Amino acid sequence: MAAGATSLAKSETRRLCAITFFARLHPGDVCGSNGLPLTPNSIAILGRSQRLKELQHEHLCQYLDVVRGKHERTIVVSEYVGCTLEDYVKRHAQTPINHTHILRIFRQVVSGLDVLHAHKLVVHNLEPRHILVEGCDDSVHVKLFNYGMHHMTKGGAYVPFPIGNVRYMAPERLLGVNGNIKSDVWAWAMLLLEQLLQTELWPKLKLSTIAWKLLAFARNANVSVVEKIAREHQRLEQYQQLPLDVRDLLERCLSVLPAQRPLPADLLQHQCLAQLSQGPVLRPNALAEPLPLLLRCPLSQIYHLWQLAGGDVQAELKKEGLIRSEAPILALPQIVRLSGASVCPPRSQSYLMDERVVLLKLQPLLQRLSRLPATVYFPLLHMQRQQQQQQQLQQQQQELPLLIRERDIEYQFRRVRLFTRLLQGYPHTADQLQREAAIDIPPLLRGPIWAALLGVLPNASYTKIDKFTATSTDRQIEVDIPRCHQYDELLSSPDGHRKLKRLLKAWVTAHPQYVYWQGLDSLTAPFLYLNFNNEELAFLSLFRFIPKYLQWFFLKDNSAIIKEYLSKFSQLSAFHEPLLAQHLASINFIPELFAIPWFLTMFSHVFPLHKILHLWDKLMLGDSSYPLFIGVAILKQLKSTLLSSGFNECILLFSDLPDIVMESCVIESQKMYECTPKSITHRQHAPRIQTPHVLDIGAAEVELQHLQSELCPRISAKDVHQLLMHTPEQLALIDLRSVVEFGRVHVPHSINIPFATVQLGERRLEALQVPQLEAHLRQRIVVCVSNIHQHAVEFSQFLVTCGVLRTCILHKGFNVLHSIEPNILISN
Amino acid sequence: MDTSTVQFVYNYKDYAGKDCEAKLDITFPFEDESIGELVTQLLAQMDPMMRYLDEDINLQKELQLFIDREHQKFYDDYSEKLINQAANEELDLEAIVRNTERLYKEEMLQFADRIGPSDEDIFAQSFHRLVHSSSLEEILKRERGYAKVIADMTDHMDSEVETLKDSQQQEMDSQINQLDITTTSEDINNLLAQQYTTHNFVRKRYESELEAMMGHQKNEYRDWITSQVSQMFQVSPVSTPLGNRSSMFVSQQPSMEESFTIHLGSQLKHMHNIRILSANVTDLCSPLHVDENLNGLNMALGLYSSSLCGVVVLTPSIQAQANKSIIKNANRSTEFHFDQMDVQLEKIEKQIRALNTSDTSSTPSNGSGSGSGNSTEGSATSSPIKQHVARLKTGDFYITKHSNLSQSHVIFHLISDEPINSPSEINSRHPVILGLRNILKTASRHDITTLTIPALLRHEMSEDMTVPWCIRRAELVFKCAKGFMIESASWGGAELSTLQLLLPHDISEELFTTLAGMVPNVFRVANPKILVDSTK
Repeated sequence: MAAGATSLAKSETRRLCAITFFARLHPGDVCGSNGLPLTPNSIAILGRSQRLKELQHEHLCQYLDVVRGKHERTIVVSEYVGCTLEDYVKRHAQTPINHTHILRIFRQVVSGLDVLHAHKLVVHNLEPRHILVEGCDDSVHVKLFNYGMHHMTKGGAYVPFPIGNVRYMAPERLLGVNGNIKSDVWAWAMLLLEQLLQTELWPKLKLSTIAWKLLAFARNANVSVVEKIAREHQRLEQYQQLPLDVRDLLERCLSVLPAQRPLPADLLQHQCLAQLSQGPVLRPNALAEPLPLLLRCPLSQIYHLWQLAGGDVQAELKKEGLIRSEAPILALPQIVRLSGASVCPPRSQSYLMDERVVLLKLQPLLQRLSRLPATVYFPLLHMQRQQQQQQQLQQQQQELPLLIRERDIEYQFRRVRLFTRLLQGYPHTADQLQREAAIDIPPLLRGPIWAALLGVLPNASYTKIDKFTATSTDRQIEVDIPRCHQYDELLSSPDGHRKLKRLLKAWVTAHPQYVYWQGLDSLTAPFLYLNFNNEELAFLSLFRFIPKYLQWFFLKDNSAIIKEYLSKFSQLSAFHEPLLAQHLASINFIPELFAIPWFLTMFSHVFPLHKILHLWDKLMLGDSSYPLFIGVAILKQLKSTLLSSGFNECILLFSDLPDIVMESCVIESQKMYECTPKSITHRQHAPRIQTPHVLDIGAAEVELQHLQSELCPRISAKDVHQLLMHTPEQLALIDLRSVVEFGRVHVPHSINIPFATVQLGERRLEALQVPQLEAHLRQRIVVCVSNIHQHAVEFSQFLVTCGVLRTCILHKGFNVLHSIEPNILISN
Repeated sequence: MDTSTVQFVYNYKDYAGKDCEAKLDITFPFEDESIGELVTQLLAQMDPMMRYLDEDINLQKELQLFIDREHQKFYDDYSEKLINQAANEELDLEAIVRNTERLYKEEMLQFADRIGPSDEDIFAQSFHRLVHSSSLEEILKRERGYAKVIADMTDHMDSEVETLKDSQQQEMDSQINQLDITTTSEDINNLLAQQYTTHNFVRKRYESELEAMMGHQKNEYRDWITSQVSQMFQVSPVSTPLGNRSSMFVSQQPSMEESFTIHLGSQLKHMHNIRILSANVTDLCSPLHVDENLNGLNMALGLYSSSLCGVVVLTPSIQAQANKSIIKNANRSTEFHFDQMDVQLEKIEKQIRALNTSDTSSTPSNGSGSGSGNSTEGSATSSPIKQHVARLKTGDFYITKHSNLSQSHVIFHLISDEPINSPSEINSRHPVILGLRNILKTASRHDITTLTIPALLRHEMSEDMTVPWCIRRAELVFKCAKGFMIESASWGGAELSTLQLLLPHDISEELFTTLAGMVPNVFRVANPKILVDSTK
């Protein structure tokens, strides 16, 4: 029993593995056709390999991650099961495996090949080490491993070493044909032959001799390759004893001319393989002890957790001696010419391709998470009691800073599992998803979660959009893409460029009313980054994002929209940061000079991706006014610098935005967003969700010129009413009408400061001679009310110069208050 | 591999039942494109109505079949062509086999002829391990002791040579005074020759003594290190941290300097340190063990780490000739880890010669215009005997490695032939600037994380270097350095953590302040982080 448990544990811990190699260095200084420096090959590999991650099939090991190390090192992390065919055969050395068994294994290999072929992928490095066998005897399960090498390196173009084992290489590959699936069929048949003859092909021959032999096959196409090989290994008799259909199969697969070889799909139909499929296919371990719960989760999540649990691929490789650290000083060149040519000491062998595989241990992770109840692994969404329990559990953790939560393995595990469930139930679970996302968003699932928050429902419309016809914006797009978030490896890879271009063109085509404004590329980048393998989701997210936050911004003439937006931004800065706004206004540092790229790209042009992600996490939850508060929060963070700077310094400061602490910026903007009445942010061009209330600010009631001339925003009677009813302690109403009018009718608790008596020359609150005015206004929303609009405007301006926070003007003046039902006004 | 284009013709009946066709040229081998896209292209040729008639479903099916068929056919045909060529001996099979074998042998560890790690490697690892253990103190003590012996010998030699010179001078003076009285000019010539020989003899004697001593020390030292390591293994395997991030600089001479922390990059910011200082370049390469400072420790810890220190020294193109005082500094003690500097230079010179002969033989046209121009110009100034001496050109550089200098593991000797007394104007495409870029690139590839560059591309001030000229030159170098540093983020190597801008030691304080003031303007200085109490 104990032995069984350990052997199980042993096999369980070998779920992930890593291999590593160096990408080819670009020789000297070369530029691409666009005049920009060439992308390092390791980045190109990274981009190409993303597609492989999407392949999920029972006979393929899943790709999990590609990591770029220093000096063009590339590390590939993938699934690993059981043992290699090589070891499997060795294990059965005493009792030779029977033919059906062998064929069963190879049938599964073909079925893997067939899937790859359907994706237009070829393996080209099929060999016993890359066939993993799990289980035993009747219930073997086979997976292809490391099959993506050819694809990710673009047929070997990105790496210095050759791909594939010469022993199993089809003759045409030696001659330079790269990419024919039928070369894999050859390799498959060679492997099968090797197993059926129970021998090793040319075990002692030199590489060049084997190559010669293969080329010799090519030269006399009439000879049967199989028989020749069998004869060479003195196994002709054994070969002739094989069933006829197996021999026929081998003969056909090992035809010298690829055209005569069958395709993997044909092979599956071949009678000697087809009959196997009828047999009962038992999943290994299905009847054995149950799998740990964790291993029933998707492998990508397991790998993510493994990393959070302190897993470090590079360290594991180092431990196994696959990353050797040689003293860099010893490898220095002696002479380097201007042309880049150099005299170097002989290259160290640590740069050669080492095909060893390093297994990553899952045991610590399994142990770490084994204490958790099953409900965490598979949360139930509609059980009230359980949810409450969970909430209590998590409340404490939710008070920790976001960055810590994102690295807490247990917390992330709970979140990931919960969101996985929620996403499976989407759109039915949209409300709950929104609630949970307000707490935080697990980075692993951010792409689909954002899409869900934006209300995306994939409908295959993306493929129908024309993304290829040349348009007039192509040139601009070509220019912008190589400048868009290029520090990121995915976005700077050729695949990333291609995808970004397709997305942009699709967006432009899908919106004939809009034009491509520079900045759309930055706006698209986060969505592409998160949904690199799912262009449609990226596109639809963008498609929904823009009308939500950037309504009309991409019109050919967007000046009215931008002007309105920036004026509102000024007003909001005056509302929340009166002194700063005043300073900026006094040095003429208007938002037009710095804030257009902020809002046009929703800050994605000014911040690096990792910051945008956190910013947008919150943005997605707010409405179209939220970005304005982010802008104010940025100003607030730079307040002290700005207050002490003149115009030139400010321009310089914003030309390259300094490091902003994103978390405090997010918190600050959220605070402001929450304490600001909705009507304060009213914009004519904002997307409208509901039809406005009578007491709201109507759609076209505030013209741009008013907006621009008023330093303070307007508040709607509805919001004043709300404040008065629910939170009167947050409202300070200043009534500017004359004493007589005030006496006749007024709002309870309002302060009467008749405008006529006020001297606005002196910029001090004390000058108003109202006792304890400052204390009264502090921490409240200050609403200036008058009959004459101009009075309110001037007075509010005065308050701003005095540094009074949250000053606003009642829209439509005092008289609008009469129409509120039931009446709120009182008289003396 | 060639490609071929095949036309796909799709026949269909339109809504009126009329026969129509849509055509599309498709290139094979078919790559990564989605079928849906091509379907869209074909549909675009049809009446818009056809989409609503779901013509695309059938179209997609046919297109898929067509592509699968043609894709396979393309490869099969191509393979067949090559196989036939091979059968007809139209291909150089010999070369194919040779290349295949070469590729496997040179690039795959499995097939390569295994070479064990070189002695240097082993020594490097042993030393690195040892230096990060408790033996560090002992190593340094030993090194210091060795250095003292050599320094004493050198001093002794210098003083003896000096006295000899003095006495010879006196003798000569007295002879000259007696000229045409008791001595003839011939006597004087003889005396001169004799003195020269004696002088040489004394010098040679000492030099060979020194060399022997150094060789002896080196052997003893390396043996000792190796023995220490094996001892250490027996005691306990200590895991040692790789790399060393401690500051390499303990400023010893009061020189003017100012430091900045900067951010580079438009969205993602990388932090670097910039230090501008005025010092003599030889001070950065002063002998390591002159006094009891911590430099020895820092240099030893960093030597085989992945955070090396480098210095760029300008040197004229006349031979592989380094700055005299640096050579002298390097010879003040035994170089335990690399060749003695003279030997390194000799080897480099040999390589330059080999390089030039191979250069002219393989690519005679390449840069011959500028090359010949340079050599004639050079030969006019240097001795006429070495007419065809191979040499490097402006912008090339060679590298020497050191373990016994105070602030540099690596010296980049950058060739610059700028005449001393007529400062010229250069632009960003000048070879010296491009050479600087190559240096940064080499630094990034080989983990040199602290680099000192001459900010005016000059080591001494001269009368003609006016203030405006200096400002212009410094601005150019600053800006280019900034550009290269931004570029370096994409090179995928080690990030330069500290860039030192070296100004001549005899620069005026005023000019230094001006140039230092330019740094924050060119580079973007990081904002100070101010902790604000959020409860307020």
